[in-house]
Amino acid sequence: MQTCINKIREIAARLVKDETIEMVIGFQEGTIPMISPPISVRTADDVEKLTWSSHCCINLANYLTDVKGKVAVFAKGCDSRSIVNHIAEGKVKREDVVIIGVPCNGMMERHTISNLFGDEIEEVVEEDGGTVIVRGKGREEKYRKSDLLRQNCRVCVHKNPVLYDELVADPVDVPEDIKRYEEVEKIEALAINDRWNFFADLISTCIRCYACRDACPTCYCPTCFVDETQPQWVGKGDEEPDVMTFHILRAFHTAGRCTDCGACVSSCPMTINMRAFTKKLEKDCLDLWDWEAGLTPDMRPALETYTPNDPEDNFK
Amino acid sequence: MDKCIACGACSQKCPKKVVNEYDAGMSKRKAIYVEYAQAVPLKYAIDDTQCFYLTKGKCGKCAETCPTGAINYEDRAKDLEFQVGAVICASGCKTYDPATHDVYGYNRSRNIVTSLEFERILSSSGPYGGHMVRPSGKNEPKKIAWLQCVGSRDVHIGAKGYCSSVCCTYAVKEAMLAVDHAKDGLDAAIFYMDIRTHGKDFERYYNQARDEFGVRFVKSKITNIVPTEDGNQLIRYIDEYGKLAEEAFDIVVLSVGLEVGESTLQLAHTLDIKLDKYNFVSTTSFDPQATSTPGVFVCGAVEAPKDIPSSVIEASASAGSAGSFLSESRWSLTRQKKLPAELNIRGERPRIGVFVCCCGTNIAGVVDVPSVVEYVKNLPYVTFSTQGLFSCSQDALNNLADIIKAEKLNRVVVAACTPKTHETLFQETLATTGLNKYVFEMVNIRNHCSWVHKNSPDIATEKARDLIRMAVNKVALMGPLNEVELEINQSALVIGGGIAGMQAAKTLSRQGYHTSLIEREKQLGGKGLDIHETWQGENVAENVSRLIADIRNDANIDIYTGGHISHVDGFVGNFTTTVQTTDSTVDLEHGVTIIASGASEFKPEQYLYDEDDRVITGLELDRKLTADDPVLEQIKTAVFIQCVGSRIPARPYCSKVCCTHSIKNGLTLKKRNPEMNIYILYRDMRPYGLREDLYREAREKGIIFLRYNFEKGIDIDYDGDNLQVQFTDTIMRRNLAINPDMLVLATAIIPPEKNPLAQQYKVTLNNDGFFMEAHAKLRPVDCSTDGVFLCGLSHGPKPIDESVSQAIAAATRAVTLLARKTIAISGTVAEVSPQECSECGGCVSICPYSAPSFIEASARFFPGKAQINPALCKGCGICVASCRSGAIHLLGFDNDQIMSQIAAIY
Amino acid sequence: MSDWEPKIVAFLCNSCSYGAADLAGVGRMQYPANIRIIRIPCSGRMSPKFVLSALMQGADGVWVSG
Repeated sequence: MQTCINKIREIAARLVKDETIEMVIGFQEGTIPMISPPISVRTADDVEKLTWSSHCCINLANYLTDVKGKVAVFAKGCDSRSIVNHIAEGKVKREDVVIIGVPCNGMMERHTISNLFGDEIEEVVEEDGGTVIVRGKGREEKYRKSDLLRQNCRVCVHKNPVLYDELVADPVDVPEDIKRYEEVEKIEALAINDRWNFFADLISTCIRCYACRDACPTCYCPTCFVDETQPQWVGKGDEEPDVMTFHILRAFHTAGRCTDCGACVSSCPMTINMRAFTKKLEKDCLDLWDWEAGLTPDMRPALETYTPNDPEDNFK
Repeated sequence: MDKCIACGACSQKCPKKVVNEYDAGMSKRKAIYVEYAQAVPLKYAIDDTQCFYLTKGKCGKCAETCPTGAINYEDRAKDLEFQVGAVICASGCKTYDPATHDVYGYNRSRNIVTSLEFERILSSSGPYGGHMVRPSGKNEPKKIAWLQCVGSRDVHIGAKGYCSSVCCTYAVKEAMLAVDHAKDGLDAAIFYMDIRTHGKDFERYYNQARDEFGVRFVKSKITNIVPTEDGNQLIRYIDEYGKLAEEAFDIVVLSVGLEVGESTLQLAHTLDIKLDKYNFVSTTSFDPQATSTPGVFVCGAVEAPKDIPSSVIEASASAGSAGSFLSESRWSLTRQKKLPAELNIRGERPRIGVFVCCCGTNIAGVVDVPSVVEYVKNLPYVTFSTQGLFSCSQDALNNLADIIKAEKLNRVVVAACTPKTHETLFQETLATTGLNKYVFEMVNIRNHCSWVHKNSPDIATEKARDLIRMAVNKVALMGPLNEVELEINQSALVIGGGIAGMQAAKTLSRQGYHTSLIEREKQLGGKGLDIHETWQGENVAENVSRLIADIRNDANIDIYTGGHISHVDGFVGNFTTTVQTTDSTVDLEHGVTIIASGASEFKPEQYLYDEDDRVITGLELDRKLTADDPVLEQIKTAVFIQCVGSRIPARPYCSKVCCTHSIKNGLTLKKRNPEMNIYILYRDMRPYGLREDLYREAREKGIIFLRYNFEKGIDIDYDGDNLQVQFTDTIMRRNLAINPDMLVLATAIIPPEKNPLAQQYKVTLNNDGFFMEAHAKLRPVDCSTDGVFLCGLSHGPKPIDESVSQAIAAATRAVTLLARKTIAISGTVAEVSPQECSECGGCVSICPYSAPSFIEASARFFPGKAQINPALCKGCGICVASCRSGAIHLLGFDNDQIMSQIAAIY
Repeated sequence: MSDWEPKIVAFLCNSCSYGAADLAGVGRMQYPANIRIIRIPCSGRMSPKFVLSALMQGADGVWVSG
């Protein structure tokens, strides 16, 4: 990990000297354990603040839009796909972004760690070889990192950046036997009522804080539909139909664009796994149109293109 | 007729049942009837040969029943006289009657039907309600056979020698529909001589039927059909290899051909126009709509058997030919309508008037109209509501206008029949009062309510209330919409200086419009320069030279040879095309564009082409014939190979002209040297329509046609110095070898590999690389982009006569735009609210009409945001639905309007 | 349950299905009255929001046809 951090700082130090680059966006050490907030580095003094860990859950593509000038950004596999998506949708220009790819073995789920450890956590240290040491209340536990990974990282098949100017480290191996859609298939197998109950239960704790929306790089509308009043698509309260409408529509807005970066889940204070919605749409796009978001900047997302060869088996 | 509201009450009461001709005699109609559901105008008529009142003087039930007093027994056929400058003969054709010389057992079994009868069996409005059953026992068939060429390609008495051109494709279609209809599987077999799917995209259709629908194609000669006792029919036939075979089917469909009806003979006599030996109207390839009498034009199947796309193309072409003929008297009889200035209702509180129509008893017989009117009075913003017997009658419309003015209504709802037919009528009435026509909603409480819920008046009434409540809710949110007037630049651009392009330019100029023509090559003429003769024997070079001279001498036509298009901007009415020629760059401003950019002859990399001088393409042979090349004198044996590069997986289309072309050239060679041995190796011979005569003549003159095994292919090798063609004959199932002195390859017509025009004018290419028309049948020369039209080979392979027709048609369609001088853009278009736009470009990407674009980065307001050009917008709303940011509004169907309808549902 | 009738909202494309519903009327085909038709210019106009909102209004089924 330290090699990686050193390399990140070395690259950043070089880039801040480049006058054409406004800033370098990366991660810094948080004030509490297991949270790495983003930082924009503009001077050589700040380079040392940059870090890297398995808590860099935020999708940095989110910070590239509506920025003037050229920006450098550190990007995991999913971040890079979101950047590709931004390029395809005209939100950023390829020439205005320097992408420093960081091959990624997955980020950890802080709630999982907290639940396993039980007590208040003071420090989490990653060791080479895939072990994680958690310290707090004077005791220490060792875990395997693979047990602590976020769900989206467990099924990730794009661990290496798809578009980059340089890489921080050698690409990591992607196992071939990843069952990407096991979670989705489980839900699909449910009877229709059970499926409804599953989703109703899933969102029952939602407090409509919109953290998921704000963390999501694909949610960049000036006015979100939930804030519109004419017409008022959806009520503002926590009635189930309104909450469900919010989640379903938000998921549909990301269809064919979501890269399963997990920023929504990681940002949710209520630990709602709203990926249950988006992952299904990802699977459908793959099954129906052989489409995966963020792999090519030259093509529009699946739901925004038309080809005469479109299979229409999905229309009944 | 004006009074008839097509309620159908008369027909229900009429006691006289008559055989229904439209259902090919398979069902009954009444003596007062509408011929078919889609009839225009939708008015009932009395069959005076069947009506009891008219034949026996008693009954009169329909007059008693009719709610509007529309029955007039005194109505008689009248002779009308018109003063006209031109006549278009489009009297069509009829189908061959297999009963006259009954070789197929048509009279002996009810389960032997004509293809037209089978269409009715499949139709949901047909005699069996779309349930595919045998006419005899009404049980579902397991096996259906189609017999091709019934009455066509047959010189026996009663039949016709020509090919009817459409039957192969319609049989393929019927077979696919039948397979689709059959719930438990169906064995569909088509017995044929040659499958002639020569039309655009028809070959794909044929492949689809065979490969995906499992339709069997049996190459055969039918000997006879024997109806058996169990209602089946036994088809006895000689198969491809000359062996006798038989197979039983539940239904046999006779694919009957097309022929000219007797009434056409009378008409031809009256018009004094020349007919050919089959009684089709005689025409020429270079003026295919003109008859032997000036001012009389022809289109459709009265000229030759043809399909719908060709007929519709010719329809436009004949109108254009007549238009050119009459161009001097253009506008001399036109009248203009005057409307009052529009009232400004912006900011006013809605004052909604609701008019509920009884439609005689059509609505009021089921829906409790008075209670609906009472209910409506209490809906928000409704200040007036009333009922009317027939809201669409002229006095009711006058009354509507008076009420709008008296009650100062600023929104109107009419609950009556369908907006598809009546919306415009009411909107025009609104306009006469000064109201904007878009502050209007129509509620369909007839077609969608009273007619379909006859037996439950209570819930039908409740539904009518609901539907009106929804419309009231919506109309309150409707505002006046602006119909932008667009000026149309009164000039045209034609791309391509081949036969089609030149003909299009000539037609446009003759109708008085300035035209620019761009040709990529240095000289005009295109592929026409290479062709020796048309299938009718006309000299192509002479005709092309005349066409070139015509347009060169036309002061109204600017010609840019050696030109190419570097940039295109604009849209219907206002295109700007930048043309670069060797010495200059010009910006052409034009209102319409006609693409006639052509196609080329495929040059194969097989059969020793380009390696041995004796191997040439069809067009190369034409050039030798035109030049009277002495090489031709030396030839003792010539072989033609058909379908080189056509009808193969990489190019699954038929090039349409090559069969006739090879036959024609074979005959020309035979004429020069009757001793020459000529072999034509084919897969299916496709000299469609009247071209069949040439095929017969070729066989009579000794040209030998051999059907080669396509799977095994053809090998060309050397036998010493001689060329040797080796192939397997499918009939003899033997390997054969011929040593020709000349090998002619009938190669495919291929579109350009890259076609920048598609991008430049935003027109679509089909899978084969030819331009796609807006609708194959209804709009065969229009592009989906307004103001752009198509003709010639760039649209698909076709012979000269069809190219010329299509060119005149494209020019005519263009003139329909140019003649209007301005066009009013519909008010129901999409509009961007830039504050909400997230610049994602979804709308720009998804719009099929390229209406949205980004505002330029240098613009003062909202740079980078999306904007929508109302001139290009068709109001479909795809962009609105795709806009995640909710920034796009479809005027007239905006989110809040539809949501307000939804909100009022229950 | 047997006499329960679903309430259906239909969004019909003006260019095709709406006309088909008209023709069903011309042909006097009888069908249950528990359907409420909303005319849209094209099924491409359809938004998932309309579906959800119809369901929220109490519809048991939504039919989009075009």
